[in-house]
Amino acid sequence: MNKVFFLAVKDIRVLMSDRGNIFWVLVFPLVFAFFFGAIYSDAGEGPTGMKIAVVDEDKSDFSTSYISKLESSDALKVSLLSREEAIEQVRKSRIAAAVIIKKGMGDGFEAIFNSEEPKIEIAADPSRKMESGYLQGLLAKAQFEALSGNFTDRNWMKDQISQWRGEIEDANDLDTRQANLFLDLFDSFDTLFDDINDQNLKMGFNGDILNFSQTNISRESDGPLTSFQITFPQAMLWGILGCAATFAISIVKERAGGTFQRLLVGPTGRAHILAGKGAACFITCSFIMCIQYIGAKLFFKMPVGDLPLFVLAYLCTILCFVGIMMLISTLGRTEQSAGGAGWAIIMIMAMLGGGMMPLYFMPAWLRSLSNISPVKWGIYALEGAIWRNFSLMEIAIPCLILLAIGFAAFLLGVYSLSKQQD
Amino acid sequence: MIDVQNLNKKYGNTTALDDVSFNVGKGQTFGLLGPNGAGKTTAIKLLCGLIRPDSGIVSLNGKTDPTLIEVRRSLGVVPQSLAIYEELSAEENLHFWGRIYGIRGRKLREKTADCLKIAGLLKRRKEKVSKYSGGMKRRLNMVCSFLHEPSILLLDEPTVGVDPQSRNLIFDTIEAMKKEGRTIIYTTHYMEEAQRLCDKIAILDHGKILDIDNVENLITRHGGPSHIEAELEEKISDVEKIKMFVDDKDIQLEERIIRFKTSQPMESLAKLNRSGLRFHSIKVQTANLEDVFLNLTGRRLRD
Repeated sequence: MNKVFFLAVKDIRVLMSDRGNIFWVLVFPLVFAFFFGAIYSDAGEGPTGMKIAVVDEDKSDFSTSYISKLESSDALKVSLLSREEAIEQVRKSRIAAAVIIKKGMGDGFEAIFNSEEPKIEIAADPSRKMESGYLQGLLAKAQFEALSGNFTDRNWMKDQISQWRGEIEDANDLDTRQANLFLDLFDSFDTLFDDINDQNLKMGFNGDILNFSQTNISRESDGPLTSFQITFPQAMLWGILGCAATFAISIVKERAGGTFQRLLVGPTGRAHILAGKGAACFITCSFIMCIQYIGAKLFFKMPVGDLPLFVLAYLCTILCFVGIMMLISTLGRTEQSAGGAGWAIIMIMAMLGGGMMPLYFMPAWLRSLSNISPVKWGIYALEGAIWRNFSLMEIAIPCLILLAIGFAAFLLGVYSLSKQQD
Repeated sequence: MIDVQNLNKKYGNTTALDDVSFNVGKGQTFGLLGPNGAGKTTAIKLLCGLIRPDSGIVSLNGKTDPTLIEVRRSLGVVPQSLAIYEELSAEENLHFWGRIYGIRGRKLREKTADCLKIAGLLKRRKEKVSKYSGGMKRRLNMVCSFLHEPSILLLDEPTVGVDPQSRNLIFDTIEAMKKEGRTIIYTTHYMEEAQRLCDKIAILDHGKILDIDNVENLITRHGGPSHIEAELEEKISDVEKIKMFVDDKDIQLEERIIRFKTSQPMESLAKLNRSGLRFHSIKVQTANLEDVFLNLTGRRLRD
């Protein structure tokens, strides 16, 4: 047992003496988790509204008020751009749509409600119809909110009434009786706006148009709470993969050099050497797990659903890849050949198993294919403990699959190694 | 101590060792001399149990299984390739190998210091091996095998690619080990090394031992005559006078210089001296192992 310990300590020292190794097994997985975690969570800012650009070609008080209403909406994230810039942003899919407020929008009711010559233009990708429809609703709401301000403006209303009176008086095709009815109505409005006090004017003409009340209900935990819960299982797998590849290469390196021979002619058997490598790989992976776990908790505030199940999942994953490491180490007789073959296999396993793109986002057929990759089962087990709320029985399935793969790979590796004459 | 009988080993259709037999007594240094590909490394691997022979017996200290732990503890192997960890320091390497052999604590520290001193690496013991020169690495590679004080040392071309200074240090170390009574098997394709270090030498070619004996006997048997060039104090005219004392019919005489070949140079020169010839200077070029190998195989060692 002592020999295995000394061999493991030596291997860890050798591993840690190389900065490249440290990067791949420790730094890279953390960078991976942070980088992709930030991307999936939209740079970590939490939920945001639909990104739109507004082009104000009218520059009127009404358009200013209208834009401020849009900006105050939680559902929108507004940036003011020129027409060219806005359309370019839509073309590059950086924003959902561009809202162009044309000249004349602030000229009064006539301009706003003129259906023949709309004063608001929406420039959007035709494939984003749902967002476009949603945006139209939000624009209408803002428009009415802006208008409600004008309704409480006594002078603005009287100007509008005076404008309408003039139009009725000039309308030759309207019979006198009908025209008088409108003119009487306008007189009544004039009287109303002259006599009503400010308080009642505001109460009577202000208010939300088609207002809603909203009740916030948090959904049940059927998905990850933060994006880091998706990326950390991946990162942990990358840490283990890096470790397994490094140790596999170190076995080949020892065989290609003279140290493996010297160990074999000493009082150490092949089993000691392999056990030492396995122990070193296991200890290093466990250390990496601790670092990653602490990092995830402290810096990324990643919740872990069930810690004991997480540890169980992690240990099974490590054991699986210790076995795979042994198999990889027999794939070549030189560092280059074993390293190349090892990384190629690891990359395929990672691609299929959700090590690069989360299984969560994969199409159904690829998710089915991913069953052949131990990376998938490792991530699945870790996710089960972190956010899928697996029970012990549920997590036992991926864990047993991992152990079976690891055991089979270990036996195959040891057999293959003993068959290769050193 | 070491007894090898009728050892055969093939790799596919290639015969690496063909009916090899030899024995080495306690405290002897036995050389396996042959060109590259002669089967020297295969012989070492068979001796230490790294590979199994197709047939034949290897006996080390009376045990016929070199893979037994007690046999392995008595073995110190210096492989041809560097068997050290370049990412660690010399001291860390020695500590690691010592621990593998069960050496601990004060003894480990003392043995490590001794080995570092022998290898001339005491001052640079904390430096990573990757920063060492080739010669320093070779020296460390060698002393890592001495740490556990093995009774048998198997050295597989320990001086390959080594500078003259390191080579001399390695020779001194091996000679010191020899004085301590260790049994040594030394493979090389440098005849000077075999001639300097070995008590007994096996000439190996294409997996076959061509002859085994000490250097003197090998040269006597296969080296051919020594070449003598002597300058006389006085000129002589009759070469027949000299032929009476020298068994070389092709003796040459040029002014005061005579040249001849003989298998017994000292005796021939003594006879000439007794006959009244006075020498101004004498040059004797004796045969060496290179000549032995050339005469046995028709090739040079480094061909």
